[in-house]
Amino acid sequence: MSQTSFQDISQAKQDAIPLPLGERLVRNGCVSPAQLEQALEAQSKEGHKETLIGKTLIELGYITHPALLNCLFHQLTRERVAYHLDRQAQTIIRFENVEKSLDGRKVLDNLNLEIPANKITAIIGISGGGKSVTLKHMVGLMKPDKGEVWVGDQPLGRLSTRKLNHVRRRFSMLFQEGALFDSLNVTDNVAFPLRETTRLHEEEILRRVELCLQEVNLVGMGNKYPDELSGGMRKRAALARALVTQPEIILLDEPTAGLDPIIENSIHYLICDTFMRTRYTTVFISHAVPAIFDWCHHVVVLHRGRVLASGPSLEIRNSSDPTIKQFISGDLDGPIQVI
Amino acid sequence: MCLFLISVLANSVRPPYRPKNLLNQIHFIGIRSLFVIILTAIFAGMVLALQGYYTLTRFGAEGLLGPAVALSIIRELGPVLSGLMVTGRAGSALAAELGIMRIREQIDALEVMGIAPLQFLIAPRIIAGLIALPILTVIFDVIGILGGYLIAVQLLEMSSGVYFSGIESAVVMRDIVTGLIKSVGFGLIITWVCTYKGYYAKRGAEGVSQATTSAVVLSSVFILICDYFITSILL
Ligand SMILES: Nc1ncnc2c1ncn2[C@@H]1O[C@H](COP(=O)(O)OP(=O)(O)OP(=O)(O)O)[C@@H](O)[C@H]1O
Ligand SMILES: [Mg+2]
Repeated sequence: MSQTSFQDISQAKQDAIPLPLGERLVRNGCVSPAQLEQALEAQSKEGHKETLIGKTLIELGYITHPALLNCLFHQLTRERVAYHLDRQAQTIIRFENVEKSLDGRKVLDNLNLEIPANKITAIIGISGGGKSVTLKHMVGLMKPDKGEVWVGDQPLGRLSTRKLNHVRRRFSMLFQEGALFDSLNVTDNVAFPLRETTRLHEEEILRRVELCLQEVNLVGMGNKYPDELSGGMRKRAALARALVTQPEIILLDEPTAGLDPIIENSIHYLICDTFMRTRYTTVFISHAVPAIFDWCHHVVVLHRGRVLASGPSLEIRNSSDPTIKQFISGDLDGPIQVI
Repeated sequence: MCLFLISVLANSVRPPYRPKNLLNQIHFIGIRSLFVIILTAIFAGMVLALQGYYTLTRFGAEGLLGPAVALSIIRELGPVLSGLMVTGRAGSALAAELGIMRIREQIDALEVMGIAPLQFLIAPRIIAGLIALPILTVIFDVIGILGGYLIAVQLLEMSSGVYFSGIESAVVMRDIVTGLIKSVGFGLIITWVCTYKGYYAKRGAEGVSQATTSAVVLSSVFILICDYFITSILL
């Protein structure tokens, strides 16, 4: 694996050039150039620039939904290989010897971590390993007892409240339990960050909210309240709230836990699609191994408050570390003893 | 706790202002407490008149019933009972609501969005308390005095002229101001203690129930203690 020829790299790089989805589809032979032309024209007529080209192509009947999905995942799979062969990415979030004790127990123990910018990073690890706590440190919701968390060139622990809020506006976060506001219905919940932190017109806000709800498959649920929804629906509503602001860094705490496999897949699609459109840094915690290995660029394995491994997803998947192997395969037998 | 109040006050003068939030809270603390306040006021006034009459007749001073009822309501019972009723009705709800927001990470979610929770959640509640309590107290006073009137005039067959003219001549501006100062103080205590307890609720359902209980107990006790001190200073 270590002997990668120059040709491999240049080929991989070629594959990984972020193209607009439409051109990517043409290149892969999924649609013809004429069909793409037509879809683009239809879009410009409607004047909705942000409508996904994929959606328009589906509406015109030129491509099926699964085919589109395939193309997306295929692209990410190639990018993943490119990243594996030639890991070139800036670091956007960096943990420096972070220690954190909660209730007298050391939850994070000398944690060093780097999250690459403009890539999809998955954090995996056993339950209670400190994944959620790590994510909360990234936005300064928890302060390290020792060490420092850097976002870009800003040390979170040393910022004033105002500057910290400024940094936080670059983020959005999906909490493990959703954290929807009970007193607001779904539409208001999703619209909330737009209403409170931007100066958009109400019409524009509602249009975006509607689009987002469409994407997470919650059309018509807008005036339900969080406690009237099922757990999976709540999660999707919360996901919509995290995506609606189109932030630079997206943190997702188990976006697919507790969802059925079909919805899980569609959420993965949504994450990939959002990423392909925006190229924003995406960090998410997931138990969906090994599925995520197919399309995540970077994987971090957390174990007992430490980083057990961190690297391109291919590298982690082929790791020979017995703990990682056991985690991926789900064996009861191995270094992690649960019963 | 003092630090909490100071940073809330600092936060409340900073833009952006959210008048709609404030109105919602005034509605919640003020308007929704109206019914209990009216009910308590009527009966407090009635019982005062009965007891007062019983006591005053012993000294042959039943003509002073009006002033006795009015002064005790305006100076003491109005603010204190309103404060205690609002604590029970709105204060507990404030603590529970914020406690649930805390344990369900909704407060964290606000912070991640770059919205200061002290400014967004706490400041409007405290300001609403400062506005609502004096108004509720005035309503309590009026209804309470009318409750006394019911007993004095309808039941004990005093003349209504004696009842009201006694009040008019005995109650001075100073009494009313004392009562209002108290009610503003109690409004602050209730919202301050209850939001503080809720905001810092411990994890789990137990944390919320504990926060609610101690919020109600603490703010009731504080109200009575402060009542003594305000009275002794302003007497
Ligand atoms: N606010 C808190 N107060 C006290 N202890 C906490 C707190 N949050 C987390 N912990 C503890 O920290 C440890 C790590 O928790 P964390 O939520 O990060 O786990 P996780 O890796 O996200 O697990 P899961 O996959 O089940 O979500 C746990 O043992 C938990 O008890
Ligand atoms: Mg977790």
